[in-house]
Amino acid sequence: MKKIAILLALIVLPLQADEANDIIHKVDQNMRGKSVYMKLKMVIQSGGHTRSMEMESWAKGKKRSFVKILAPSKDRGITFLNLDGQMWQYIPRIERTIKIPPSMMLQNWMGSDITNDDMVKQSSIVDDYHAKLLGKKGSIVTIELTPKPNAAVVWGKIVSQIDTTHYTEVKDIFYDEDGSKVRVFTYSGVKQFGRYFLPTVWRVKPFNRKGHMTTIKIERATYDGVISQAYFSKSALKRFSR
Amino acid sequence: MVGLALKNLSFYKGRSITTFLLTFFSAYFFIVYVAFMDGSHSSMLKNALDVYTGSMQIYQKEYREEGGYDYLINDTQKVFNLLDNTRGIRAYSARVETYGIASSGERSAAMMLTGVDFEKEAKLSELKKALKEGVYDSKGACLYIGSELGKKLQVKIGDEVSFVGSAIDYSFVAELFKVCGTFKTGMYDFDNQSAFMNRDYFDEIFLSRSSASYIVANVNEMEENDRIAEEVAQKLPEDLRVYTWQELMKSMVELMKIDSLFGYISMSLFFLVIFFVVMIYGFINVSTRIREFGVLKSIGLSDRAIDRLLLDEIIILTLAALALAVPLGAYTAYYFEIHPIVIPGMSEMYKQYGVVSDTVPTRFSPLTIGWNAALVFALNLLSILYPMLYVRSFTPVEAMRHV
Repeated sequence: MKKIAILLALIVLPLQADEANDIIHKVDQNMRGKSVYMKLKMVIQSGGHTRSMEMESWAKGKKRSFVKILAPSKDRGITFLNLDGQMWQYIPRIERTIKIPPSMMLQNWMGSDITNDDMVKQSSIVDDYHAKLLGKKGSIVTIELTPKPNAAVVWGKIVSQIDTTHYTEVKDIFYDEDGSKVRVFTYSGVKQFGRYFLPTVWRVKPFNRKGHMTTIKIERATYDGVISQAYFSKSALKRFSR
Repeated sequence: MVGLALKNLSFYKGRSITTFLLTFFSAYFFIVYVAFMDGSHSSMLKNALDVYTGSMQIYQKEYREEGGYDYLINDTQKVFNLLDNTRGIRAYSARVETYGIASSGERSAAMMLTGVDFEKEAKLSELKKALKEGVYDSKGACLYIGSELGKKLQVKIGDEVSFVGSAIDYSFVAELFKVCGTFKTGMYDFDNQSAFMNRDYFDEIFLSRSSASYIVANVNEMEENDRIAEEVAQKLPEDLRVYTWQELMKSMVELMKIDSLFGYISMSLFFLVIFFVVMIYGFINVSTRIREFGVLKSIGLSDRAIDRLLLDEIIILTLAALALAVPLGAYTAYYFEIHPIVIPGMSEMYKQYGVVSDTVPTRFSPLTIGWNAALVFALNLLSILYPMLYVRSFTPVEAMRHV
């Protein structure tokens, strides 16, 4: 009897890991496509203030993305380039291109509750984490993501709830290395864009900062369109800033 | 009994000289070693406090745990009034800190930019004395930047540095500043990431107005610091908290405690060797005198009186050695406190440990010297216990027949 139980466990556990990896890959594919253009609105609530920003983003694969701020007017034209894990920023007001140093990757991005690292390492969920299926409830599965050995990641663990109807995220809870909850992403408003499904409202709430919340609304998304290679070079920062 | 003890000491010269010399050197080196250890610790701490930390700081309760702009002190004037009415406060000032990316050309680095009142800071910290090049109390879009940070960004006086961060309302801030002055405190981390700016311009850019990350204060007498901090704490509004330098420099204080502990462990090994050598010499000496003790016992001298004789001998030897070692050790500690040893390049080599000077001072403390001498005295007394028990184990007849 004991041998049968061990045999079953040996068969079932790798299957569960494969299933979890498969789900994560499908979610990642939904988010990324082959290439994706998005127009987004970000509302940042912090310390009693509320600000909103509008931006456009172009991304191709896991290693290349470009973001341009459209509003507010004082920040209009600020551009960001993520190229092979490195991040650059161009600020038209002072006409300077700045490389974001590794020590600043955990700093908040543009005063929001997402970090510079979130902008650069979107791919790491698939590449740098082991996925383990924790449970299923109807179409919702809970997956625990733990860092692979030697992976250069900042989170100790991520617990992700995924709706397997269209393979979209419902909730991500991020933990630090001590196992304390740091922030939670909640996703809603799933819409279909071509053959991809994407939650169009993302809410980020840090656990340790009272009154802070960032809401990202995806107003438009175009998958697998033609995105010029010109966006993914350092010269693009200034060129597309206008 | 003291007379007999003195006679014995002059008769058994070998044992007396050895015990005297061992006691003298161990006491002398112990006093000097502890003086140097305490001296270097005091020097590190004093440098850290004088350079920037001050003797106490006042924060919003959650600021040190959570950080960020949500926990700033908004009504600084209220705290200033309170500090004005507290006796013993020498100087105080408010500081606002922000973090961001400083960049020049292709180079960029994390930077802590602090808005300060340069005039008040000059009375409060060593920032003005640390000026290396350029101007200390510049106005407008000027930076007073750490020398190591300047090196990292490869900027000199007059060069531009761009800064990207966020204002108090978390809105995006990107500005160009000019390097107007550089400073070198010697504290590597501080010089490597800090820059200062006059408060008026800082407030304009970062919208900080009358807010402060914290208020730093210095007292007239450091011995009074805890009492004054307690007094200030009682007067403060509920959402504010005072941190004394011991709390602010907790890791440094703990590091020093650990360093002292290891120092004392090394010294205790040295003392263990000395203790056994003194005890062995005492034991050999007593062994060769068993017949003498047998005669003394047979003519009526009690075990207690013999114990007393042995004790007197060790006390005389120890006191004689200490009488020489203590003044000499105290003089050495005092001399090097005033004229510290200079080791060129030491601060560069140990900068990560907070060593900011090439000098190695001692700390002259009569109390410390007192307990150092008392410990050596106690150990010497302890060393005679076994020989005393050994003598007691013989009857008078056994002792007289002992070969």
